[in-house]
Amino acid sequence: MLTIETLQQFGADTEDGLKRCMNLEDFYLELVQTALDDTPVTELEKAISAQDLDSAFETAHAFKGVCGNLALTPLYIPVSEITELLRSRTQTDYQPLMTEIKLQMQKLRALAE
Amino acid sequence: MQTENKIHRKVLVVDDEIVNRRLLGFIVSRDYDVLYAENGIQALEEIKSHADTLSLILLDLLMPEMDGYELLDILTHDEELRRIPVIVLTSEKSAEVQALQHGAVDFIPKPYDLPEVILARVQRSIQLAEDNILIHENERDTLTGLYTKGFFFQYARQHDKYYPDIPMDAVTININRFHLVNELHGRAYGDNILQSVAALIQEFAKNTGGLACRCDSDQFDFYLPHVENPAAVIQEFSEKFRKMTNPTKITVRIGIYQNADSGIEIEERFDRANIACSHLRNSYQTAFALYDTQLHEKELYHEKLITEMDKALSEKQFQVYYQPKYDITGNTPVLTSAEALIRWIHPQDGMISPGVFISLFERNGLIQKLDRFVWKEAAAQIRLWKEKYQKTIPVSVNVSRIDIYDPMLKQELDEILENNQLTASELLLEITESAYTENSRQIIETVSRLRESGFRIEMDDFGSGYSSLNMLTALPIDALKLDMQFVRRMTEDSKAFKMVELILDIAKFLNVPVVAEGVETEEQYQLLKKAGCEIIQGYYFSRPVPAEEFEKLIQKEESTC
Repeated sequence: MLTIETLQQFGADTEDGLKRCMNLEDFYLELVQTALDDTPVTELEKAISAQDLDSAFETAHAFKGVCGNLALTPLYIPVSEITELLRSRTQTDYQPLMTEIKLQMQKLRALAE
Repeated sequence: MQTENKIHRKVLVVDDEIVNRRLLGFIVSRDYDVLYAENGIQALEEIKSHADTLSLILLDLLMPEMDGYELLDILTHDEELRRIPVIVLTSEKSAEVQALQHGAVDFIPKPYDLPEVILARVQRSIQLAEDNILIHENERDTLTGLYTKGFFFQYARQHDKYYPDIPMDAVTININRFHLVNELHGRAYGDNILQSVAALIQEFAKNTGGLACRCDSDQFDFYLPHVENPAAVIQEFSEKFRKMTNPTKITVRIGIYQNADSGIEIEERFDRANIACSHLRNSYQTAFALYDTQLHEKELYHEKLITEMDKALSEKQFQVYYQPKYDITGNTPVLTSAEALIRWIHPQDGMISPGVFISLFERNGLIQKLDRFVWKEAAAQIRLWKEKYQKTIPVSVNVSRIDIYDPMLKQELDEILENNQLTASELLLEITESAYTENSRQIIETVSRLRESGFRIEMDDFGSGYSSLNMLTALPIDALKLDMQFVRRMTEDSKAFKMVELILDIAKFLNVPVVAEGVETEEQYQLLKKAGCEIIQGYYFSRPVPAEEFEKLIQKEESTC
């Protein structure tokens, strides 16, 4: 189940996230759940493998904003990194970063079960 | 929200990410009604349907369909929608500048700041935008597009702060007889004229770096860097204005306070331009007048004297002085009478010159009060001396032009005589020659009546006015007082002396004596005596002195008798 403690276990800066939600825990957790339900990770992977770096950037950029606002630090770090690479349309192997993102997503999902 | 009125303002949150949208909406909903949109197109629909009531837009930049920049461009180019402030939401530094250039008023970085920071930024942006609208709606006159008065003065003050060393002129422009223009040609035409004047002023303002306002229905104020030659500028202005208002003969009057003193309030500087302008009332030509500091100080001083006169009378600041008149027909001059002269000894200003206050009070009629004061004082003095020395020293008093038109004049004089048990022959009345020329019939009648009851009348300042020779024959007078200008000039100027001789001849013809005033020197005295002048008054014998001092002259006379 998603709680402040499980999020802390995950590595989220819950203090920062909660402040942004005016310290309403339920609201914070609800937003994190929403982010999990509506994850753009698959979409991002598809775009990258199709070499559509434009839409890959848009997706990564939006996701970065969400992770940042919810203070999901372990996700925010690789998503920011990939966003910057995509912003300059860098031709590189995105696989390691994608793996890291997917790994962190799985961790969070497991904690949310 | 700390604004005074309690309207619940509407804020639109535009973000394609539901989490961001909800989070931000939640924060903002503490103080505002929140609307949501997922992209630019949706946002534009929301904005249009709440155009009148939407206070602020929180806008994400990167969105599908229509992004934030595109929406910003649409809003800034829309006459109606551009008033709504937009704060952009962004995680990139570079995007901040770009967004501001596209018309955003502020930005909120992602991840979001603390809710308090966001709310404060939202509130400040709304406040600024509303103030801006208020200013925009009130700073300009709707008819002419010039500044309104309050804003004009505010901007003028601002100008002074930024450029304290630039000499400035305060100019006021009034349309002559504007109410008649409206009546004669209709209000629409009148408005047209106002717009024409405003357009010309605006053009000058642009060229000179000045600023202008319509401060009253037909009055414009103009604050501009000092113009060395206003005549040329006004000439140009008036020609253009004539072309614009042809064929009507509408003109303006312009008051200018040059190099306006920045030490006084801006409003007062324009008061001064107005004072200059008021001297031009009812001119049929475009004309201008410059504010004259000295003239204004004189006006202020006059106003002060007028205000203080009653108080001065009751506090006995006014005193009557006496100057002796001597009969010089015999071997030794004989004290024959005196002239009462008023002096104002002001507690702060000292002796105020009669040359200043008498002509001032003559102009506004207040002289009547002073005259009556002198009549009473002089009559009481005659009475006192009569008792003390058992003889009458007749005293002449001034009767001003305005007194002559007073139907109560004779009655008042009679009362004064009665109160002091005097006869009419003991109080001499001096009437200035110029009074005779104005309404000769009335004055001749009045003077005749006074003479019939025994008063003796001396015509004062004879030779300074314009009595016609014809009128002189009808004059009911008992003495001519030679204007002192002749006496002053006669020793150097043979023509002046000829005039004196001529006046003496006229007096002989009228069979009245001549009193020469302002005699100061032995030379003047001898000349007048030789020419046959009977009575002399002046510093040669004595300056005007207080009653106590005058008594010494009486006593001296007694002892030589």
